Amino acid sequence: MEISEQKVVAVIMVGGPTKGTRFRPLSFNTPKPLFPLAGQPMVHHPISACKRISNLAQIFLIGFFEEREFTLYVSSISNELKIPVRYLKEDKPRGSAGGLYYFRNIIMEDNPSHIFLLNCDVCCSFPLTNMLEAHKRYGGMGTVSAETANQFGELVADPITKELLHYTEKPETFVSDLINCGLYIFTPDIFTAIQEVSTHREDQANLRHLSTFEALQSPTRAFPLDFVRLDQDILSPFAGKKQLYTYETMDFWEQIKTPGMSLKCSGLYLSQFRFTSPDLLAGGDGTRSALIVGDVYVHPSAKVHPTAKIGPNVSISANVRVGAGARLINCIVLDDVEVQENAVVINSIVGWKSSIGKWSRVQADGDYNAKLGITILGEAVMVEDEVVVINSIVLPNKTLNLSVQDEIIL
Amino acid sequence: MKALILVGGFGTRLRPLTLSVPKPLVDFANKPMILHQIEALKAVGVTEVVLAINYQPEVMLNFLKEFEAKLGITITCSQETEPLGTAGPLALARDKLIDESGEPFFVLNSDVISEYPFKEIIEFHKAHGGEASIMVTKVDEPSKYGVVVMEESTGQVDKFVEKPKLFVGNKINAGIYLLNPSVLDRIELRPTSIEKEVFPKIAAEKKLYAMVLPGFWMDIGQPRDYITGLRLYLDSLRKKASTKLATGSHIVGNVLVHETAKIGEGCLIGPDVAIGPGCVVESGVRLSRCTVMRGVRIKKHACISSSIIGWHSTVGQWARVENMTILGEDVHVCDEIYSNGGVVLPHKEIKSSILKPEIVM
Repeated sequence: MEISEQKVVAVIMVGGPTKGTRFRPLSFNTPKPLFPLAGQPMVHHPISACKRISNLAQIFLIGFFEEREFTLYVSSISNELKIPVRYLKEDKPRGSAGGLYYFRNIIMEDNPSHIFLLNCDVCCSFPLTNMLEAHKRYGGMGTVSAETANQFGELVADPITKELLHYTEKPETFVSDLINCGLYIFTPDIFTAIQEVSTHREDQANLRHLSTFEALQSPTRAFPLDFVRLDQDILSPFAGKKQLYTYETMDFWEQIKTPGMSLKCSGLYLSQFRFTSPDLLAGGDGTRSALIVGDVYVHPSAKVHPTAKIGPNVSISANVRVGAGARLINCIVLDDVEVQENAVVINSIVGWKSSIGKWSRVQADGDYNAKLGITILGEAVMVEDEVVVINSIVLPNKTLNLSVQDEIIL
Repeated sequence: MKALILVGGFGTRLRPLTLSVPKPLVDFANKPMILHQIEALKAVGVTEVVLAINYQPEVMLNFLKEFEAKLGITITCSQETEPLGTAGPLALARDKLIDESGEPFFVLNSDVISEYPFKEIIEFHKAHGGEASIMVTKVDEPSKYGVVVMEESTGQVDKFVEKPKLFVGNKINAGIYLLNPSVLDRIELRPTSIEKEVFPKIAAEKKLYAMVLPGFWMDIGQPRDYITGLRLYLDSLRKKASTKLATGSHIVGNVLVHETAKIGEGCLIGPDVAIGPGCVVESGVRLSRCTVMRGVRIKKHACISSSIIGWHSTVGQWARVENMTILGEDVHVCDEIYSNGGVVLPHKEIKSSILKPEIVM
């Protein structure tokens, strides 16, 4: 049979507002998927990666945020990339696989041969084209991307065939050193598999002569019939049955769960720009424009005084003003911020519309995983002149006129 | 008569409660904070209340429509585009506060709870014939505040002293004023402090009088004072209209229970507890010195003291919650958990104990 040019689609899971409280205080006014990393919204990075796949027909964003939060972004990115990007709002929690199943008719509109499923809060090089080739070679129902890591791995793969042999979620003892990278490719068979899980649950309940209500009450059946999780309900049971395979990557990979990690990942993307899009990075030698060290992104509308020194790993968003003699190292400075003369910002994230006073110092140790390892200033935080803020998190609309250290300021 | 209530800004000291609603709408003794003041104003014949706000006007306006109808009083908002301090908002709301009647108007600080003796201050104001009347309250440690130095017999104010190092008096500004319209001529539309710029001038002309506030007074803008304030409020309620307070063998001291709340068997509730609408307190629960807001469920055998449980939260079986624990909206404390001063932001689940005071984001 001739296999003509078959289409593929991508689905990006973006989460919702009451989940992801770990991203506070940055998530109070902006949905996490739209938080900028290296000058672009978080979700933009997987979207751009999907665009590189040939025969991509559509990109779907699935989540719990209100539609209006994504309307503007979705319309502008569709325009820019010349490909339909649609936001689909889930009406109730159905699990990571249940949500995919719920929208199956829309997803299958163009009769795609393959479906990419990505998690929005994954930061990596998205080797999607190579992964698709590997998936086609394996000929299974799904391929999971995996990477060797120091933490407790969930995947066991056959070293020759790369088949997924075993999957366990959040293991407490050593199972393997391969972790799930949150990128998947499926053939449309996945929908049948998800449906089987729901049906099987229903059958089990019937077998025990329990009503559905009673089945829900029993401790082993805590979920509604249509709540299907990808990890426990699909990957785990289908492992070892020659249906699922793994694709190993060696590149950088992080999960963007906290504001601290977003700073780390912004840096990873900035260093990637040096190879993929060097024109996005700023340059300057301190004569007519500010001295730039390392990888730095500066939005075209931002104004940086020539005597300031910026970098490495700094991302400056729209309408920011950086005054004379300021020093920025390893930080994200969000829209409309004013950094006044001779201020110093190190290992921090400065929230929208905030103000950093003259000779003030906003810094942190730089431990991306510690609770207070990166200083976070929420929206509209005013740091007065000469004040020092170290290893702290400040909620929106506060004015700091006294120095603080190791504190969360409500 | 008219009144202006200075609502101001973000209410950050009452976070996490104010992450869910603007501060004037945070419930106190089962009623939005600002409703206590509005009802007291209505009772002395105020027909229009202006709220000086600079944050979330839409939320406030929705709330107001509901209460305008119920109370039969006009409520409008005056929105600052930049913070105007404690006097600037009066200038901004000028047109709403003056009419042909020439009557004096009230100005209240929204965080203050007291018995609101408005009738008394009206009489006081008429009697002395000056331009402005302010209420003052006696405090133990006056040097933490701005002290009002006044002549004891007439109440005529001599001056204001900010955080005095030596004892000059023990009366501080209680945040309740009754002002003649002419005071508005003294205030420019810019960030202005009423205590530092306006009142001192009126005092110099010997036209400012202070009256000692009878009854209790509390600024409930932060959690510790909110809890103390509830005790004072319920005490006062006991003296005035004790039928509102709960009775029964399971009640100790002053306890307010909303009529739609349910309390189980074998509980011991009080002293100084307020239980809001739709709450469910299961059996064997001990509550003392705490506020339980709308829609909260306290499960069996739990024990809560000196804390505030935010709207629609749940406290698990055998959980112990104490020492200024503040739970925001929709916080779920799991069974058997201990919280010692945890301050928990909305939409969180507490699965492990909080052994010392900590903010959970």
